Amino acid sequence: MMKTSLKTSVELKGTLQDAPVPALVRIPIQKNQKPVVKKKQIVGRGQVVAETKCISAFCTGYVHATIDGMVEDILPNAIVVGPLPAPKEGEDPQMPVRPEPCAELDSLSGEDLCRKLLELGIDTNKFHPSRTLIINGLNPEPGVVVSEQLLKDAQKTLEVGVRILERAVKPGTVKIVVAEGKNITLYGCTTVHASDVYPATIDPLVVLTATGVERPDNVDIISVSDLYRVGRVGETKLPLLDAVVGVGESVYRVLTGTPVQDLLNVAGVPYGADWKIALDGPMRGEAICDLTVGIPENCTAITLVPADQFPEVQPNPCINCGECVLACPARVQPGMLSRYAEFTLFEATRSRHVDACMECGMCTFVCPVNRPVMQFLKLAKQHLAAQDEFTASCRLQS
Amino acid sequence: MASQEISKSMYTVTSAPLWHCGKTLQKTMLHTLLALLPAAAMAVYRFGYDAVEVMAWAGLAAVITEAAVQKLMDQAPTSDDFSALVDGLLFAFLLPATAPWWMVIVGAALTIILGRMVFGGYGGSPVCAPAVGWAVLSISWPDFMDLNGMLLNWDLVEPLSELKYFGTAAIADIKPVSLLLGENLGALGASQGLMILIGGLYLLGRGQLRWFIPVSFLVGVFLTALLYNLIDPQLYASPVFHLLSGSTLMAAFFLMPYSSSSPVWRVPMLIYGLLGGALMIIIRTYGVYPDGAPFAVLLLNLCTPLIDLIQPKPFGGR
Repeated sequence: MMKTSLKTSVELKGTLQDAPVPALVRIPIQKNQKPVVKKKQIVGRGQVVAETKCISAFCTGYVHATIDGMVEDILPNAIVVGPLPAPKEGEDPQMPVRPEPCAELDSLSGEDLCRKLLELGIDTNKFHPSRTLIINGLNPEPGVVVSEQLLKDAQKTLEVGVRILERAVKPGTVKIVVAEGKNITLYGCTTVHASDVYPATIDPLVVLTATGVERPDNVDIISVSDLYRVGRVGETKLPLLDAVVGVGESVYRVLTGTPVQDLLNVAGVPYGADWKIALDGPMRGEAICDLTVGIPENCTAITLVPADQFPEVQPNPCINCGECVLACPARVQPGMLSRYAEFTLFEATRSRHVDACMECGMCTFVCPVNRPVMQFLKLAKQHLAAQDEFTASCRLQS
Repeated sequence: MASQEISKSMYTVTSAPLWHCGKTLQKTMLHTLLALLPAAAMAVYRFGYDAVEVMAWAGLAAVITEAAVQKLMDQAPTSDDFSALVDGLLFAFLLPATAPWWMVIVGAALTIILGRMVFGGYGGSPVCAPAVGWAVLSISWPDFMDLNGMLLNWDLVEPLSELKYFGTAAIADIKPVSLLLGENLGALGASQGLMILIGGLYLLGRGQLRWFIPVSFLVGVFLTALLYNLIDPQLYASPVFHLLSGSTLMAAFFLMPYSSSSPVWRVPMLIYGLLGGALMIIIRTYGVYPDGAPFAVLLLNLCTPLIDLIQPKPFGGR
């Protein structure tokens, strides 16, 4: 069963499997992605359903329908595509239009290629031309095995991904960071070994291991899943349609927007009505309240936490034990900051470097009085950001 | 059409992280109680029923005082985390075994009130609560707190007062082993050196206690005592004697690392321990009290906020 060891590297048991095509998908969209389809419209697999209004080549990607079907509903955070309606008598069944493979992907380079990738559904926010590129090959969190599974089973796709990125952003050097003791190499990359014990697997710390510098300016870091998505588009020359998601010890390739319930049924893992269920890993994942939610493209795992396995978070007073300080990779005092935030002294958290926080969740994880320490820190950051935005808009007006 | 038959049940949402290391205050306190058990047993073996009585009164008074004050302050009762019981017992460990019951009750109540509740409860206190109780009693009723005077029933000596009043010659016969086994007069639990050490090592082994403060405190005691000993071995006792006598081990493992009153960063913890050890030897050498351990702890507690200002740069800070 699940254990609270923070080691992330594992002996892989299964192989990458394909999950069946669902009858209905809820494709998640973000605020900056505007739907371009209407209700009841027939859409083909791969057709654009939402676009990002941006002219630059580095932005959130377009969203595509992942099954042939009819748009059933357009919600603020998702587009629901259901099965094709049965044809009326005497009429030919409506044929959805699927896009052709994008042949020019092989000839483009530089920003044009980035723009094309964006249109094919790749989030290009993380890429900047001619920087050092680091691929985080460590499993992101304990219990999430996606990265190592992809490095084992999808080497070809990853290689295509590296080739495309070499043309698109022309990185100075490409390094891949993998767990100590793992013999993993990837085309065109220098292998760097790093600790696999969470929080050493989060991006800023991996960058530190790979470059020896804390928060350097000229380094991009992407996960293996990010690279896989690029490789997948490069391989199929079609829009990005699937996510690679771990459930329990198995890893599935699922169509984006597949309801969580469908994937859990396929995986056959046990869970109860009083369990907590989250997208992504146990340390940074987002708990969901119902299982109809569609799986986003960048989801790495479905985490299931049995009821009563862990003591509940409670608004207890801080006891100054200092556990969080010793666990914090950002070298701030989470306990102290959480108290400032608790009593709405947000400016004080700024001068005590709340910005250094990487939101790894270790402070809440180790807190012996179960305080929501990181939650308080997030609150403080959000308040400060809102305040800054307000100040900036005032300055513009005057 | 599996997806349309989805049940309408709602799942609990929380903010990340969903995992917890499982360490709770209650468990820590239960481990501490377990760590105190050997010393308590040894104290009963040495001092008999008197020791039981003192520990029972102290524990009971501490828990009841906490509950009563929390009622007055409209706080939720926290007796079930056992922290008051631990503080009461730690306080009892510093007393002579024959201390009168009324003094034990007053001391335990003051431990809780002055050491904890006036600062808002457990974890808010800038001073080590059991040491506060001990200090108040030592100053208010010095005769009842005098280990030699209170323990006349036992035909033994108290090593630290011997050293204080009769010099190093008087303690020449006291072997380290006898100090470890508590074969001399001393405070109820604090003088059971070996048992306190076992308890402390248990806490270290279970990850309930960090090594920084105990180790640096003992190193501080050893180095300072060694320095004096090197200056004049006839005048000043050996460092090993200081390490094993009085409440040194008790202070190292239970009083100095008292969670709310000790520093939180690594380097400050080491400095705090070293300074505490040095201060204890200085108080023993020049002070009017034979055993300076709880006073050294209290004084260093007051320096904690200052020492804790030695902080590393935050990640990515320049």
